Amino acid sequence: MLNVKRNVLVFGVMVLGIALLLWAGWHNLRERRKAMQEAEASHVVLTPAKPGDTAGAAVPDDVGTPHMLGKVAPGFTLETLDGKKVSLSDFKGRPVLVNFWATWCAPCKIEMPWFEEFQKQYSAQGFEILGMTDDVDAGKDAIAKVVKKTGVTYPILLTDGKVQKAYGGLDYLPVSFYVDRNGVVVEETAGLGSKDEIEAHIKKAIASGATPGTGGQ
Amino acid sequence: MAVPSWQMGNLDAPAAKPKSYVVYSAEQQVVTAGKRSVLELHFRVVDGFHVNSHTPKSELLIPTQIVLQPASGVKAEALEYPVGTSYSFSFDPSEKLDVYSGAFTVKVPVVAEAGTHTIEGSLRYQACDHAACYPPKSLPVEVLFTAK
Repeated sequence: MLNVKRNVLVFGVMVLGIALLLWAGWHNLRERRKAMQEAEASHVVLTPAKPGDTAGAAVPDDVGTPHMLGKVAPGFTLETLDGKKVSLSDFKGRPVLVNFWATWCAPCKIEMPWFEEFQKQYSAQGFEILGMTDDVDAGKDAIAKVVKKTGVTYPILLTDGKVQKAYGGLDYLPVSFYVDRNGVVVEETAGLGSKDEIEAHIKKAIASGATPGTGGQ
Repeated sequence: MAVPSWQMGNLDAPAAKPKSYVVYSAEQQVVTAGKRSVLELHFRVVDGFHVNSHTPKSELLIPTQIVLQPASGVKAEALEYPVGTSYSFSFDPSEKLDVYSGAFTVKVPVVAEAGTHTIEGSLRYQACDHAACYPPKSLPVEVLFTAK
């Protein structure tokens, strides 16, 4: 009789334990779902703008914008992070992407790894990228950190203030100029575009000005 | 979406000083003299823009930060910033930022002597819209209050 009572007690404790475990599991799952829903609700992902509702539209009217399309890309000679002098004319006869960026610019850092990928993909066609650091005052260490994080290996140049003015005065970033083999700007973009758009611009720069060596680089 | 040059506004317009992307509403506040009170600084990020929060997710991003000058008869404690909102650009949703958009309030705990007071300072921030970012800017801030 005593054994029966003990067995009933043990069975009861086991049932209670299993019930507790099931409840804890269900409660934990519910809390996790709730937390995920809350995180999802507070997270904002902006969708690409429609034509006419672009980054340009959000830019206040009095902010300067580049306007180099169809013009010869202004020449420059600047130092790289490791102190080498690089000129735009070094790449005469080759398609070049001149990309202005800054360490504080989050969208710039999104497109830089894409640029690196395209640099490798189109290097056989002579394509080159020059990364123009707008905020040189951030210091070489900060610039080097971004370069390392984004994994870019193309030349990173330290701007001098004059080159920004030569390219139209850049009040926001990223800004990119796609220069063809003749040294002419065949496409310019302000703000982060899609990877496909960037590749299309690169292809355009590569295809344009097939006769090398006649531009102002 | 990047902006083709033909959509980039009036290219012939004369260059002017850029506007501020954050607006500060200076409001007269009243606190109890000699007791710890909390002043509120109300800011609004212009529609279509956001600024990094006080604690952005990367050391390379510029946090929103207020620097207040010492004011006679006022002892200010560490500022209390609101938490930011998670944000990412549509072309790379995996890259999470922490930002303020719309209205946000920064609290300033103070103990002040009786009288009218003015604390001067500045808000440093770095703004972006949905595709581009603007250089860091500073906005003058004047905190006006009376301790009774």
